[in-house]
Amino acid sequence: MLNGFKSPQTIALIGSTSEIGQAILKHLPLENLSTCYLASRSPSPIVGISSKAAFVPIAFEATDTHSHEKFVQQLFSQGDLDLAIIAIGALGNDSTLSDEANALNAMQVNYVAASYIMALIAKKMVEQGHGRILVISSFAQTRPRNDNFAYGSTKAGLDFMARGLNEKLRGTGVSVCVLRPGFVRTRMTHGMVEAPFTVSAEVVGKVAASLIKSKKSVGYAPSILKPLALIFSLLPPAVFRKISQR
Amino acid sequence: MPVTHATGWGRTNFALSRSEQPESIGQLGDLVTSTKDDRGILAHGLRRSYGDSSLNSGGLSIGLENIASISIAPETGVATVGAGASIRSLEYKAREFNLFPPVVPGTGFVTIGGAIAADIHGKSHHVTGTFSSSVERIQLLLASGELVNLLPTGESASQFWATVGGLGLTGIITEADIRLRTIATPFVQVEETREPNLSRLLNALKSADSDFEHTVAWIDLSGDFRGRGVVGKGNYENHPHPSRNKQSDGLSFPNIGKVSLINPLTVRAFNEVWYRKPLASGKKSLSAFMHPLDGVQHWNRMYGNSGFFQYQFVVPDGNEDFIEGVLATMRDAKVASFLGVLKRFGAQSPAYLSFPKPGWTLAIDIPQGVKNLEAIFNSLDEELCRREGRIYLIKDARIRPEHVPVMYPRLNEWQKVRALMDPSNLWQSDQSRRLNLC
Repeated sequence: MLNGFKSPQTIALIGSTSEIGQAILKHLPLENLSTCYLASRSPSPIVGISSKAAFVPIAFEATDTHSHEKFVQQLFSQGDLDLAIIAIGALGNDSTLSDEANALNAMQVNYVAASYIMALIAKKMVEQGHGRILVISSFAQTRPRNDNFAYGSTKAGLDFMARGLNEKLRGTGVSVCVLRPGFVRTRMTHGMVEAPFTVSAEVVGKVAASLIKSKKSVGYAPSILKPLALIFSLLPPAVFRKISQR
Repeated sequence: MPVTHATGWGRTNFALSRSEQPESIGQLGDLVTSTKDDRGILAHGLRRSYGDSSLNSGGLSIGLENIASISIAPETGVATVGAGASIRSLEYKAREFNLFPPVVPGTGFVTIGGAIAADIHGKSHHVTGTFSSSVERIQLLLASGELVNLLPTGESASQFWATVGGLGLTGIITEADIRLRTIATPFVQVEETREPNLSRLLNALKSADSDFEHTVAWIDLSGDFRGRGVVGKGNYENHPHPSRNKQSDGLSFPNIGKVSLINPLTVRAFNEVWYRKPLASGKKSLSAFMHPLDGVQHWNRMYGNSGFFQYQFVVPDGNEDFIEGVLATMRDAKVASFLGVLKRFGAQSPAYLSFPKPGWTLAIDIPQGVKNLEAIFNSLDEELCRREGRIYLIKDARIRPEHVPVMYPRLNEWQKVRALMDPSNLWQSDQSRRLNLC
């Protein structure tokens, strides 16, 4: 249960090796935390968090969607789940024209698995009458570009699904929020050319923590990306093509 | 079934639940036996608990406002009261017979069911004990649908004392017999003294206890936090005097949305006036003396939408330095409070989870939004655990579950009795889930 400070008692971090996911955890109020589930392919403990909570690793294979239902049952087996952070993700490098297999993996992880697990968790949260889910989308879903549209499309799908689910959940006590980070300096993006407004995972973690506490359904990290997203989507194709070229 | 949104009195905890208000005990029984729900059932009264004691997210929430009959047998002085009746309405009815409940809390807007489930106390605790000391019988609806009568002694005693202070988690209290005391007049002889610092305030309270049935102190939690305050003392007035027996609702505080009127400046100004106000002496009406909080309805709205916490603890004698420590902590955190209530407790009640125990209790209202407040509360709790103190669960919105068995060493015994009374875990609350009570 959340306490009177709205601080979560039980959290599930799905994709617990994600640097952004871990950074979010660090910025959340952890005074009330009792249990934190760390779900990933090969679960490992998190360092640099001081809390009296039990950090419980659970094996989770994103692409094995048949196992998801059982996995979600585990998350609710000890009582209520207050907050789920869905941080699984894969970068569909380049474009489908050069690496289709990579793009397929991104589709399976970023869209199929993330959407499915989100829906399963939401269903259980509705039964308990409360809960919040944070989904990590991306600024890349704003408008297709020639260099990352496969990745962008997976995040656009997830983003759409999350916002739709959030509408459906109105009045149930459960809500979903979507975080759209720009270019984030992490292992996943190591070696890539940095885009303008590149931020660290820490910055994203901070924005995400305040998004979770608020009633908002969409957040950008850094926040300057919010007006930029509007501008990007309104630009004529030729202009957009020119400024988005790297 | 309608889904309703409810909050505790402090407006910090929220819950969506299906809600029902049965018309009779019979209807209540049918409702309970026909409900199959993993999230369980919780009965509630007037929702004066501050945090989540009266909330049941995702489950069934049953309001007992229609089960509120009061009948008084003047020859025995015993009132048979429906659980949904308020203390205020019982007082009003009792006064017709020159009777009065021996234990009443600071607000009359508490139901009989709630008073038992929280084993409430009042200004008379050092003399009368808790509310349960005047309860002669509890009628309880069990999860099986069976209605049982529980008595404080004999075979049902363990169930009786598990239900007293049991936060509604042993069954639904439907009715109770309350032994009333006779009063000559509906007045109290009141005396007040002003004390310039904490040690004087503590001493004044201590010495007042031998001469007065009702004692309490208001403590100034602002400015330099040296613990100055006003001690209020009272005894029932014995000389008859004509009076009216009238229930007044007083004023109502408007809903002011996000704004909070509570800040160090307003509190400082209020407390200065309150400390300097002319001291009362002489006759005061029972209701005005007993229920100072009831002058303004919905006063919790004063804190705006973000709400407030009440931190109420008890520490055994010899831990006066802890109270000083709390004042210092508040001063350092720049938290001012206009409601600081200090009182000495008498003996512990036989109820497993009853809050009062011999020593000092302090209740402080603090607005949400103070920096690091959650961590401050947690570290005070840890210190309390070391000093065998405890937090009042009916005021709690945020303690950590591992502190409960330390603060309430008989939790384990209570859990065993409770498990026998409710093997299917039907009775649940947000607080019972948060604190792993059941």
